[in-house]
Amino acid sequence: MKVQEYYEFSCPVKIVSGLKALSNLPYEMDQLGARRALIVTDQGVVAAGLLKVVKGVFEGSGAEIGAIYDQTPTDSGVKAVNQVAKMFTENKCDCFVAVGGGSCMDTTKGANMVVTEGTDDLLKFQGAERLKKPMKPFIAIPTTAGTGSEVTLAAVIYDEEKKQKMAFTSYYLLPQVAILDPKMTLTMPPKITAATGMDALTHAIEGYYCLQKNPVSDVFCKAGIELIMENLVKCIESPKDEKARLAMANGALLAGIGFSNSMVGAVHSLAHSCGANARVPHGVANAILLPWGMEYNLNKAGDDIAELAPLLGAPTSGSKTDQAKAAIKAVRDLNARLKTLSGLPTTLKDAGVREDQLEAIAKGAINDGAATYNPEDLTYEDALAILKKAF
Amino acid sequence: MSVGYVVKKSVVSTSLLALATAFEMVSKSDPELKKEIADWEDGRTFSMGVLPEGPAITLKKEGDRVVYMGKGIKNPKLTIYFKNVDAALLPLAGMMGAHTAFIQHRAILHGNIAEAMQTNRALAIVQNYLLPGIILKGITKRPPKMNASQLMLKAKVMALLGAGLAKNMIK
Repeated sequence: MKVQEYYEFSCPVKIVSGLKALSNLPYEMDQLGARRALIVTDQGVVAAGLLKVVKGVFEGSGAEIGAIYDQTPTDSGVKAVNQVAKMFTENKCDCFVAVGGGSCMDTTKGANMVVTEGTDDLLKFQGAERLKKPMKPFIAIPTTAGTGSEVTLAAVIYDEEKKQKMAFTSYYLLPQVAILDPKMTLTMPPKITAATGMDALTHAIEGYYCLQKNPVSDVFCKAGIELIMENLVKCIESPKDEKARLAMANGALLAGIGFSNSMVGAVHSLAHSCGANARVPHGVANAILLPWGMEYNLNKAGDDIAELAPLLGAPTSGSKTDQAKAAIKAVRDLNARLKTLSGLPTTLKDAGVREDQLEAIAKGAINDGAATYNPEDLTYEDALAILKKAF
Repeated sequence: MSVGYVVKKSVVSTSLLALATAFEMVSKSDPELKKEIADWEDGRTFSMGVLPEGPAITLKKEGDRVVYMGKGIKNPKLTIYFKNVDAALLPLAGMMGAHTAFIQHRAILHGNIAEAMQTNRALAIVQNYLLPGIILKGITKRPPKMNASQLMLKAKVMALLGAGLAKNMIK
């Protein structure tokens, strides 16, 4: 094992995981000196009855819900962020509780910036490490097992007026507590379980072979892969299996901690651009592009990819290249199985991408920050070639 | 202030100025760089500097080329900051690739990431003109393949860099 010349690692998030973990929400608020929560969620969570479950844990606790914002859009935007910030102040809330997927988490992170910095112009905080003071208490309760947003230092918020995506990274954006309770993911339909699970697997795999990897993030990525490989299919075949759901939530969290520190690469660059240009859900795009991205990095990161073969259930015989190729095949086999079980698309065409969109996607991908961390250089021509293969 | 620190700061300061000067020269003639900056809006300004108040440069797109605006951070849309003089030394002295500077947390970005990626690609093209091929082979993900006219331009940049530096020093 190689120790990188230089690396940094941080994950100060307290993790509360288990059956009935959600019941500890008021206690965790109290530990943070908070008693009046603003809940940030979306209509999907409400429809699944999960907001009712969250409301239930406040009974007799001394903590209270100051307000609920349940209109979070699929992609977090400035409009929603400002509405949430306004609700927080107007209702005299003292902590944020995000209940949902990546968009709810990012909206909350954005609103927390607005409230803490007393600004309505997020643009000036774009980039890395621009926040200089601790923010309001923030507890994250994921309802998918994929994004890992509950333990990542990034937020992406779309500015509807300026029509541009703003990315923020800061250790201050991290929640103080992440609560993983299997009952919050039990209602996820098979296709979303598959897509979000493959998102998590992509975090862990790219996090393991991309350039900012380090010995600490490696441990998280490997453990994440192990849990995801053991439990993703189980969660689809037996959706009410609480143990498998909890394991998947933990797999996504471990992958999240890993990639938040090691970053991801070309697969994510391309997937982000597929989302922006062709509205392909992030997890679906990652699933489709992952084997192609691994293959693209075979020359530069083959040894690292080979190390993942046993975790992916691939044969470990032959040369490093053979093992790396076997690892890639194992990902393709998993995608094929998920297609059969849940209808998860395995080509960009099946995911609704048109061939005439590929050039715009390639152009967007090379301007995505994740490309920096990819072992192999990602040029426009290379990006287009990968997309054509995945089409 | 120790002699060592003063030397390092001077190297960083001169390297930044050389980068700015080369950027001006290469943007006048290299088709690859011209293509890269073609989509930038006119007047786009970006800076590179060392925190907290170390050496810094500001460049601006004017027409189809990039011009040096002078020392310091001058109201840029985008800034690449090195955390300290030590963090800036290796990448600016050509001993480390720009991507490695970000990977090793030496550099941070203030501004839009897509524009930073465009700027980094442009900087990488300029770096190809400043450094020998053997060094580029060691610090870039994929060493550049320069054609005859680019190699001639490289020779011209190297020959005129000193004069360009002297001119920009007073800006």
